[in-house]
Amino acid sequence: MLIALHDIEKRLILALAGKKGWMGLDELSMHTGLNMDQVRRGVEWLKYKGIINIEESVIRLITIGREGLNALKSNLPEVRLVDAATRMGGEGVSLKDVRSATDLADDEFNAAIRYAKERGWITLSNGKVYVRKSVDAQSMPEYRLLARLGEKGWLREDELSNDDKDAYRMLKSRPEYIVEKVVKEVKVMLSDHGYSILKQIIDEERMKDALTVKRIDVTAPAPIIYAGRKHILQDVIDEVREILIGMGFEEIDGSMVQSAFWNFDALFTPQDHPAREMQDTFYIANMHKSIDAKQEVVERVSSMHEQGWRYSWSSKEAERLVLRTHTTAVTIRYLAEHKPDEASIFSIGRVFRNEKLSYKHLAEFHQVEGIVVSKDTTLRDLMGIQQEFYRRLGLNKVKFWPTYFPYTEPSLQSMVYHERLGRWVELFGMGIFRPEVTEPLGIDRPVLAWGGGLERIAMLKYGIDDVRELYSNRLSMLRGVARCQL
Amino acid sequence: MPVVTLQHRRLERLVGKGIDEILAMLPYIALDIEEEGNDYVKVEYNPNRPDFSTDYGIARALRGIMGIEVGLPKLNLVESSVATFNVDASVYSIRPYILALVALDGRMDDEDLRQLISMQEDLHMGIGRKRRKASIGLHDYDKVDGPFYYTTESKDFKFIPLNSAREMSMQEILASMDVGKAYGHIIKDHARYPIIKDAKGNVLSFPPIVNAELTRVTEHTRNMLVEVTATDLNTARDVLAVIAVTLSDMGFKVASVSINYDGYTITTPDMSHRRMSLPMDRLSLLGLDIDRKEVIECLRRSRLDVDEGKGKGEGEGEEVDGSIECLVPRYRVDIIHWIDLVEEVAIGYNISRFEPRYPRLKAMGSRDRTLKVLDDARSVMVGLGMLEVMNFNLVSMLMQYEMVGRRMDSNSLVVEESKSKEHEVLRDSLIPSLLAVLSRNVHEPYPQRLFEIGKVFSRVGESIREEWSIGVVIAHSNANYTEARSYLQAFLHTLFGIDVETEPVDEPPYESGKAAEILFKDKMIGSIGEVSSRVLSNFRIRVPVSAFEVIISRLIAK
Repeated sequence: MLIALHDIEKRLILALAGKKGWMGLDELSMHTGLNMDQVRRGVEWLKYKGIINIEESVIRLITIGREGLNALKSNLPEVRLVDAATRMGGEGVSLKDVRSATDLADDEFNAAIRYAKERGWITLSNGKVYVRKSVDAQSMPEYRLLARLGEKGWLREDELSNDDKDAYRMLKSRPEYIVEKVVKEVKVMLSDHGYSILKQIIDEERMKDALTVKRIDVTAPAPIIYAGRKHILQDVIDEVREILIGMGFEEIDGSMVQSAFWNFDALFTPQDHPAREMQDTFYIANMHKSIDAKQEVVERVSSMHEQGWRYSWSSKEAERLVLRTHTTAVTIRYLAEHKPDEASIFSIGRVFRNEKLSYKHLAEFHQVEGIVVSKDTTLRDLMGIQQEFYRRLGLNKVKFWPTYFPYTEPSLQSMVYHERLGRWVELFGMGIFRPEVTEPLGIDRPVLAWGGGLERIAMLKYGIDDVRELYSNRLSMLRGVARCQL
Repeated sequence: MPVVTLQHRRLERLVGKGIDEILAMLPYIALDIEEEGNDYVKVEYNPNRPDFSTDYGIARALRGIMGIEVGLPKLNLVESSVATFNVDASVYSIRPYILALVALDGRMDDEDLRQLISMQEDLHMGIGRKRRKASIGLHDYDKVDGPFYYTTESKDFKFIPLNSAREMSMQEILASMDVGKAYGHIIKDHARYPIIKDAKGNVLSFPPIVNAELTRVTEHTRNMLVEVTATDLNTARDVLAVIAVTLSDMGFKVASVSINYDGYTITTPDMSHRRMSLPMDRLSLLGLDIDRKEVIECLRRSRLDVDEGKGKGEGEGEEVDGSIECLVPRYRVDIIHWIDLVEEVAIGYNISRFEPRYPRLKAMGSRDRTLKVLDDARSVMVGLGMLEVMNFNLVSMLMQYEMVGRRMDSNSLVVEESKSKEHEVLRDSLIPSLLAVLSRNVHEPYPQRLFEIGKVFSRVGESIREEWSIGVVIAHSNANYTEARSYLQAFLHTLFGIDVETEPVDEPPYESGKAAEILFKDKMIGSIGEVSSRVLSNFRIRVPVSAFEVIISRLIAK
């Protein structure tokens, strides 16, 4: 079973494996390049995982003391004594003279005499010193030990050689030559489990090596992956929606299947209007539904038709179910039901026309529509809203032409200048609802309305000139078209 | 929308301005430039303005807005009636109305004639409602003698119809001539068919189908008889008024005709202008700061006029600017309400002079809550690496039912007379369309993980239920039920924090034994499974596909 190891742990395990025996923490630090804190932490973790065995023992450490340092600088007192005596002739030099030449304190001088005599360097006779042997101070075991201690700091007493041990004993008897301390020592070794883990690490490392050792072609393209994303038309819907909400408009939504009443009659579209024929509008077969409006509203709409268009209005015709030909079926219904004093609402949704598909016509597409209800609102306000909407879409040049819609008067269409295409493009239509539309619904103030096909905006944005392309669902396109068109 | 071809030279002559100035002005009388040639321009006009069906009518409006000639157009009328029509009671149940005029002493070139014919066709299609409501006959007046008779004949009555070298019975005309096949349905069900004859029994016309060859109008025609037959009197009046003003502009003198019905007589055309009152305060809709004088100027530029004797300062205590009494020429059939006069003011003022202004609105933007949930669903799917596709609500029966091994039933929602096999029935599930998308993309790299959010429709009694749904298909060499179930879990867990149950079910398009219905609190909210190999082969998909669909509306319904 694979076991997750921290990099610190791996390095410790590899170091222990190299030694094949007990290692102290210092040693581990040295071999791994980790600092002591990291080593201690790692050892704790490994111990917890049973990867290492631990042995704790007490050891004695020694180092050089204050007097030892002096001796290191200006030699051991006995050496200085022999040196002074030698300089003064070496044969029968007065003890007193030697003493003053060495500049040693009494007890030191006496000890020096004693050591020098014991080693047979000098003899004493009647207060006179006779030098018997020349002295190589550097090769003395005591000096060498002092020198090592001075260099290394602490040494382990138990690791001293036999010579060092003797020198140590000699030096220890002199006050302040040696300082000692006792510490606890931690030693670690890989456990059996540790060796099995080792194999895992080695395999991993080998693999890593194999990868890193071989240079990779950093210039080559990588395999293709595709992002999850929204449909490109949905991105446009989102953009338009965000603009309208930013302009203070409230989003509404409604049914796609509507009665002819709300789709046509409430919008003062006469019942023999060409748009209502089956060649242009989808009707649901074999279904009729009683008109979903208050009786008084139906009556007022009916008499408005008979008065304005001079024909006999049929409720049967209004009961037919149609796939809405515009989202106005939803907005007008909202107005009739809420009769707001003031409102700014919008709707984005599917609309349907019984058309053969072509590069510029679909049987089903999206419409965005906005409505403003306000007591003193005007045609110029309507133009201002359009201008602002287009500006937020990045279309800065707008002009307006008169046009005709059955349920608005006056009616305008907007033309926007498209920089990339370098020409004027027709976009939304707009107008103020005719009184014959608003009055029967009990709305007593102007209603500005505007809207158009969303696909048109998408085509401009993506540079598409066949509207069917937007619904082709070719994955190469959906995956490939950039979301932000620069 | 109907299209008129305008020749530059004629237009310059009729308007009295250079072509560039004219072309720049066309959009401001609501004409869309459809096509531009070296010496012509094609414009689309709105069907509410049948008077724009010739270059004469367009020139008339241009002269107004350009200030060359304003107010009501002058008509070249002959006061006295020059001909008589007698109407037989047998037409009452078929096509009861006939109106007529006689145009005298005109000269037409071939382009005038072409404009006239084109106007006739546009009127037939538009306010004539494809001849059902009204149709027009143009005749060479010199070939016939009044009085004229509007009556009926039996189906085997024969005459030489226009563009024919021989006599044909009316029945034969309906069966074999193109116009007969196209418009025969209007009168077919009647035992006898309408006919117009002169005093000698010569046939002028078989309305609303075809004229007689005898009265063919050519560029040599100097005097013309125009008759309009109709099922609606007002429509007939509108049509005749538009023709009358155009012929007058062409240089004809327009003379009246008496129509004798059983017991009463009317004289046509009625070219007297209508009076309509424009309340001054309604003009605030335009947001312009203009005075009464300017308003009147605008109306005159729109070829209307005002009666200053009325409205202004009329009666004691009444405001001087209370209303304006407008005079509307008879051919302006689009003006039916004071709001139309408001628009005439706007167009006369010229839309290009309106300055847009952003209103101060008491408004706070907000989102529809249901649509917001759908967007959240979309985000979750995208986060799961899915690609969104978009299909139509209206789909083919073949794909929605047959190809996925299902049968249509009485609850299937079919539309009437679709022009396309691709759009016949409203979707009750999103999965078939998604399979069709996979089918179109078999050459694209796999895995393909697609989703769609859309409505599913079902019939509930006499109403239609619309519910928002999300469909998912997963296609690659290892696609299976478990993976689909994982996505389903992740989706519902991330979106709503809910878990669902799946109970075995056996239904298309899924493989038997590898499908389930999705239940939340014992309510069916969707289905999941591996798509059966039979269905996959119908769609020519060569990798395994798993799919699920969740009707989101059932989870968020109050």
